[in-house]
Amino acid sequence: MTAIAANFHRSSQRPTGLVPLYGRRLRVATKTVPGIIGQLITPVLWVLIVAPALADALGDFAPGVDYYTYAAIGQIVLLVPFTSMFAGINVIVDKDFGVLRDFLVAPIRRRTIPLANALGVLTVSWVQVVIIIGLAAANGAELDTSASRVVFLFGAVSLLGLGTYGLAEALAYRVGRQEAYGPLIPAIGVTPFMLCGGIYPLAVLPTGVRWLAYFLPWTHAVALVRYALMGTAESGLAQIWGFGAAPVQATLSLAALALFTALAWRLALRVFRRATTS
Amino acid sequence: MSVEIAARRVPLPGVAAPPVIVDGMHKIYPGGVEAVRGISFEVADGEIFGLLGPNGAGKTTTFGVLTTLVEPTRGRAFVAGHDVVAFPLGVRRAIGVAFQDSVLDNEFSGRENLRLHARLWNLARRDAEQRIDALLALMDLDQRADDNVRTYSGGMRRRLELGRALLANPRVLFLDEPTVGLDPSVRDEIWALVRQLQREEGVTIVLSTHYLEEAEDVCDRVAIMNRGELVALGSPAELIETLGAELVELQIDGDPTAAARELGITLQRASPPLVRRDLVSIAVSDDAADLARQIAAIRSDGLGIIGSTLRRTSLADVFAHRTGRPLDEELGR
Repeated sequence: MTAIAANFHRSSQRPTGLVPLYGRRLRVATKTVPGIIGQLITPVLWVLIVAPALADALGDFAPGVDYYTYAAIGQIVLLVPFTSMFAGINVIVDKDFGVLRDFLVAPIRRRTIPLANALGVLTVSWVQVVIIIGLAAANGAELDTSASRVVFLFGAVSLLGLGTYGLAEALAYRVGRQEAYGPLIPAIGVTPFMLCGGIYPLAVLPTGVRWLAYFLPWTHAVALVRYALMGTAESGLAQIWGFGAAPVQATLSLAALALFTALAWRLALRVFRRATTS
Repeated sequence: MSVEIAARRVPLPGVAAPPVIVDGMHKIYPGGVEAVRGISFEVADGEIFGLLGPNGAGKTTTFGVLTTLVEPTRGRAFVAGHDVVAFPLGVRRAIGVAFQDSVLDNEFSGRENLRLHARLWNLARRDAEQRIDALLALMDLDQRADDNVRTYSGGMRRRLELGRALLANPRVLFLDEPTVGLDPSVRDEIWALVRQLQREEGVTIVLSTHYLEEAEDVCDRVAIMNRGELVALGSPAELIETLGAELVELQIDGDPTAAARELGITLQRASPPLVRRDLVSIAVSDDAADLARQIAAIRSDGLGIIGSTLRRTSLADVFAHRTGRPLDEELGR
């Protein structure tokens, strides 16, 4: 053995990988200035320009509801799934440009790879959410929250982010090519937002579409976010469930989101395993 | 044709086993393509072992199984004493892999690529930094270590990948087509590095290549594969010896296949004559003078022999004689 091989230790025999892969995903996301600006420009523009404009045009749609706050906070449910879906491109890049194969022969449990990616993407989403809430508050949003209700904000954002990233992973491995994956970003990252009550209440939707909306995880997420940050009346939870007290309704919506996330990850891990083991 | 291993072996607990054992391994992909058909071989400690053959021979699948990227359909394989299916994490702790295609993280510098690898392999930070510096120097990349790998040449990328594969001090180093796509001077450089790694690091090296002439120089032993089967196994010298140290190549004016058939009947040699384009090659063992006399007699019989040359036998000739097809035909050259 040479000096190169001498004095050489492993920290432990325990399979690791989550922390370094999570760190790598974050570094990829923040590697360039345009990349950082791209991830911050949408929440900033929405809170400072779009939501006030919508409030001026459409405000006072319901007595006692501040439409600016309603629209600004609702944007969380647009941004989190869009960030998740967009990150699916990185999955294809890692696969196509090969670095994934180096991870696959590393002494780590392979499911660590998508999980670390998911946590990296979720961290970016949380930074965006904090910016939305902070800017909205600074710009006059009427926030009404409590410690017990903030738990639902944490749960809603985390579960929606993880669930939609699970879908993104599964779709990225399934379709395999960037040009085929690209159209899925708006289809899944944006379209459900139009139907979930993000910028208008579900009541204004046609009955059939409204029933479809009740089954969308996005609908439950936006209701939970408003419940946490605005209060019971503005949340729309009562309209979804039609029974029980607000905490029960919120718990049920959180359970619905958890179910979506669990199913999305079951699919993601199955597709990942099939795509990476022949 | 397949090469049999006399005794089927699995590593026993507490008994030093060869670092690589492949035992009756088959791989059938979905859709029914049988990429590997019951191959068996072992690789000894500290040896440079070459998996040779044309594209589609089953080398990459064999590589995939040994590096836990592909699950065998039947049979077993062990690396560093670990079953590749039952304990893939144990296998992955013991190996380093340099793939045929570049698998560097293009977002980062050479040093950052190595650091990420060190963390995935769970190396203690201070040891990792020392080893990274040493390997960058060994690979002659220390001056460019902090540049983004996008700016590296093909040879530099390959050297970095070799260094990365060595970072965790593997017991077995797998190199998949380490010189493919590189110009000849860089290929020589890579092979020199491989020899140096074996000599100085004492690592067992399993490599695949379709450059048989290069493998002949570098490998201690080789397994020649063709269409999923092992057609020859041994040291390059042993395999060449089975054919004869030299070959006579006859240039035929006319139908070389008919001439080869006729020569085969007339000469009655252990290895039948082989046709490659307009050439018929015949192995020479220790009877060169007799063979020359026989060929001269045939020449006068009018088989259309218009020239002959004597040359050293190569592994490509062994491949051709074991499979009945020249390697360059298999490679589409």
